[in-house]
Amino acid sequence: MSEIKRIHQDLIAKKYTCTALVQEKLALLKENKYNSVNTVLDVLALEAATKVDAKIANGEEIGLLEGIPFGIKDVYMVQGTCTSASSDLLKNYKSAYTATAIQKLLDAGAIPMAKENCDSFGHGSSSENTVFGSVKNAVDTSLVAGGSSGGSAVNVAADYTVFSIGGDTGGSIRQPAGYNKIYGLKPTYGRVSRYGQMAYASSTDTVGPLAKSIEDIAIIMNVISGKDGKDQTSITSEEIKAEVISSTPEGIKVGYFKNFIENDAIDPTIKADFLATIEKVKAAGYTVQELDFFDADTLVSTYYTLAMAETASNLSRLDGTNYGNRIEDKNLKETYMVTRSENFTEETKRRIVGGNQVLSQGFSDAIYLKGQELRKEIETAFEADFNKVDIILSPVTPGPVPKIGEVLNNPHAMYLSDAYTVGFSLGQLPTLTCPFGTETGIQVTGAKNKEQTILQFANFLNQVQ
Amino acid sequence: MSKIMPVDILSSIKGAKSSEAVDKLFDVIKNAEINQNSSNQNAENAVSIDDLRADVVENSSEITKQIIIENFPKEKDGYLVVSKVIEG
Repeated sequence: MSEIKRIHQDLIAKKYTCTALVQEKLALLKENKYNSVNTVLDVLALEAATKVDAKIANGEEIGLLEGIPFGIKDVYMVQGTCTSASSDLLKNYKSAYTATAIQKLLDAGAIPMAKENCDSFGHGSSSENTVFGSVKNAVDTSLVAGGSSGGSAVNVAADYTVFSIGGDTGGSIRQPAGYNKIYGLKPTYGRVSRYGQMAYASSTDTVGPLAKSIEDIAIIMNVISGKDGKDQTSITSEEIKAEVISSTPEGIKVGYFKNFIENDAIDPTIKADFLATIEKVKAAGYTVQELDFFDADTLVSTYYTLAMAETASNLSRLDGTNYGNRIEDKNLKETYMVTRSENFTEETKRRIVGGNQVLSQGFSDAIYLKGQELRKEIETAFEADFNKVDIILSPVTPGPVPKIGEVLNNPHAMYLSDAYTVGFSLGQLPTLTCPFGTETGIQVTGAKNKEQTILQFANFLNQVQ
Repeated sequence: MSKIMPVDILSSIKGAKSSEAVDKLFDVIKNAEINQNSSNQNAENAVSIDDLRADVVENSSEITKQIIIENFPKEKDGYLVVSKVIEG
């Protein structure tokens, strides 16, 4: 059931006012026990709600997203609001402009409620790498929220927002969506403009929605997608049609990566639950094919090598000269050093240093350029796989949701926990996390621009659970 | 001129050094075998010349300019102050 449509009908029927709805959600966001919010946008939200109420009172028509409260991961620019990337460096940084995806939602009348806690600069898989305090899981507060879009996933799961806009570079929408038992879509690279998204790794950064239903994911995607002159990697795309999503998928061939399942790293329960889902797909009459793919170590290492190189480059501009928390020292060079040393978290520094290592003379051929070659092979393998099948199913993570404090001090384990998400990022493929199938959910992946097909198949999977 | 720049200087981070966790990832890449026959379709990821935006200067709005100034870390007597540039 679409929460967006339900609220839309309620607002039209005057069951409650938009202001009352927004006030209720703002109170929840402020009280919140999950550390899911960095800044509450109460002034902006109430101003926008008043306008919606005035339209309804005047008998004017309102659009589907008008009056719908949504959250924004704290890496998106919204003019006049703080955009901290959950870092000390940008804790008081004010956005000078608004990100394209967010502007489209504002233009459609959606109500911006909060800038949401996340791993600093997207660097993490648990939303513990943040200066605003670890985000707690919405289902069990002793567990991590997942990351990096942890605050966004928790706010949706806890009904603090109807939907949230997260960012996914290597799994940062899909994994927290699975950990908090909601839907989260990483779109095809370029389908949603990255303009105004703070860059982590530009070649895999994507903008996508988290919500409680597939229908809502489609509604949001149809608003935020599209080519944007301000992001030259953005692409045109077709509308996702609600009637197609709700219809039975026909002639669909399904595959899964055998080596993701047949290995020692996967939790036995996740493996058993995933295979049980595969049996349900077969029982419904679909052909399911086992596929060979790269091992998890290669996928994780390729992704992190390239992502670290890109983040070292992207974050080199953050030196406190023009903005950010500058810490003065005896000269410009020392000011740069102290500002960056004291304002970046340990994990962010680890990634910047790793990135500069692989980009430096003597390492770039053996590591960075080889990583690029491996990425080409991975992309080629995906092309071959999508000549055989239409949908690839996979677990979201090899293991269950970790407890708070378990992974932050074990970075290698944290990197390996991304084993099943990073490959699809390197392939720039659309992938939806569904909140069923395994403890941390199931991923449905299609070829580039096949968002409609994966949402349609996910809808079928939901019905056979 | 051949001068190796240490990673702490490259990163502008005091005391920065490589980490064991990250080195483990790099070792996997070093030891990976590359399939020499893999296709070179990556050129498809490049942005077409037709898609490049016009190289024109656009004036920012007053509010944007005001926020950019607000974000500047240090101001004195109406001037924006930068750190002392290294001498020599």
